[in-house]
Amino acid sequence: MPASPESAGTTLQVVLGADLHARPAGQVAQVAATFEAAVSLLTGGRSVDGRSVLAVMGLGARAGETVTVWADGPDAARAAAAIAQVLNAAAVSH
Amino acid sequence: MSGVGIVLISHSRALAEGAADVALSVCQDGARVIGIGGTEDGQLGTSLEALVSAVEKADDGAGVVIIADLGSSVLTSRSYLADPSYAVPGVHLADAPFVEGAVAAAVVASTGAPIEAVLAAAEEARHARKS
Repeated sequence: MPASPESAGTTLQVVLGADLHARPAGQVAQVAATFEAAVSLLTGGRSVDGRSVLAVMGLGARAGETVTVWADGPDAARAAAAIAQVLNAAAVSH
Repeated sequence: MSGVGIVLISHSRALAEGAADVALSVCQDGARVIGIGGTEDGQLGTSLEALVSAVEKADDGAGVVIIADLGSSVLTSRSYLADPSYAVPGVHLADAPFVEGAVAAAVVASTGAPIEAVLAAAEEARHARKS
């Protein structure tokens, strides 16, 4: 279970340049798994576990929407930055 | 690459190979995913021999998760696991939806996670909402 977004942690916001489709969702889950921190993605009032590719895909986040990346744990800052980078790169590669 | 292997078994070779393609695409070829299905003469069906050889190919020692679609794919997988002359330790049949389970399992396997985590990811895939 991802911890509650209301607790302390690192938060970064990314405006999606492309829809958050299967492949970028897979990359998010892969990168999230390399950190100890819990990672959540929030958009449209929903929050999902960043390590679950299906949950990330299931957000149905579209180009132009803002996704909040929230991480909590010893390497939270690096985790949030890495996930934000994946989301930004996905926008560029599409 | 090392890690848990995934075998997708369907009546249809096209379905199994297509699901494997999708899973490999989402995990960026980071896991071993093998799709098998159909009979030797290209008809719809399942083959125990094909499953035995696919599991062997998929296993590098970290274990194999089998994901089956329907009916005799499931029965063939169960027969394989129940037969002591075939089954090797560390091979599990996931209680999971075919495509979603394959994608979730492949992504988790690509991170080097142990078989328990890969199996859990496949089985949790049933909760993915579409509406």
